[in-house]
Amino acid sequence: MWCMEPGETRSPLSQLRRGTLEYCVLALLRDGERYGFELVRELSDSAGLVTSEGTIYPLLTRLRKDQMVTTTWRESESGPPRRYYRLTESGDAALASFLKEWARFRDSVDAILNGRKGDAHHGD
Amino acid sequence: MHTMETERLIDDYLRRLEDAAAHMQKARRAELVAEIRGHIDTALRQEQAADEAAVRNVLDRLGPPEDIVEAAQPAPDAGQPVGKLEIGALIALIVPFIGWLVGAVLVFASRVWTSRDKVIGASLLLLPIVLLGLSVVATGPSGGEDSAPPGDSRPVGEKVEDPLDPAPVGLVLMVAGLPSALYLGWQLRRGAAVSRTESVRG
Repeated sequence: MWCMEPGETRSPLSQLRRGTLEYCVLALLRDGERYGFELVRELSDSAGLVTSEGTIYPLLTRLRKDQMVTTTWRESESGPPRRYYRLTESGDAALASFLKEWARFRDSVDAILNGRKGDAHHGD
Repeated sequence: MHTMETERLIDDYLRRLEDAAAHMQKARRAELVAEIRGHIDTALRQEQAADEAAVRNVLDRLGPPEDIVEAAQPAPDAGQPVGKLEIGALIALIVPFIGWLVGAVLVFASRVWTSRDKVIGASLLLLPIVLLGLSVVATGPSGGEDSAPPGDSRPVGEKVEDPLDPAPVGLVLMVAGLPSALYLGWQLRRGAAVSRTESVRG
């Protein structure tokens, strides 16, 4: 019986991507509401962030369930109505606290990966 | 605008999505399929092309339907493993009185069962106890006359049919916790089966 963690075998970054993607969605909503397709295309146009566009839709559903975003259907000039996503207060708060943590996390990982702290020991 | 071939490609893709999502709640599955269908429509409208190459590109960018369904499942660490706490709770539930109490406390402390399961489990435990209590109260007055212990020297014939014969009462006490323990145990096995298929799918 195989008991792999989902996605673990694909890329070393897939777990990290999974955890950070939702905050990227929240960040895209900071400047106002957007509809699903627009969000999906913007995320997938950023290199290395999303491998399968379709996987963003379940994420949007989860954010809505967790009340990080609210949604409204609006008529569209070209085609069927669209579901627009808007940041809630708790979504905004979650994003703010993630930004703080992320900056620290990113700096620490970068510092270690680039060997800045270990320069003295490694010499050359 | 769509040709037979592009129509077939899209239908095949959505059918694969539905199959992969067969285990999901009906409403959630329908919503997911509708969202993906809407995405395909919007993408093709935006590109102002619906030839076979355009459709294939849109579907490729969406990714394998199985991946989409996998993303819809809760994160791997959301499912708690079944531990000693749960096994202990089930064993305790079978032991009358003190076991029921301990079992109930353990069940409510566990993070494996859902709130719904906990309430059902507690009801299944309370029901036999309450029924037993009610039958004691109901037969109380009639039993008042021969409240003497079973070892009384009265002739057996004098005893009217007594539903509160010590033997049945003891038996009921012994099995009162069983329905609850069986139900909760069954839910554990179901939960374990679900998390197994989830990890295999990955």
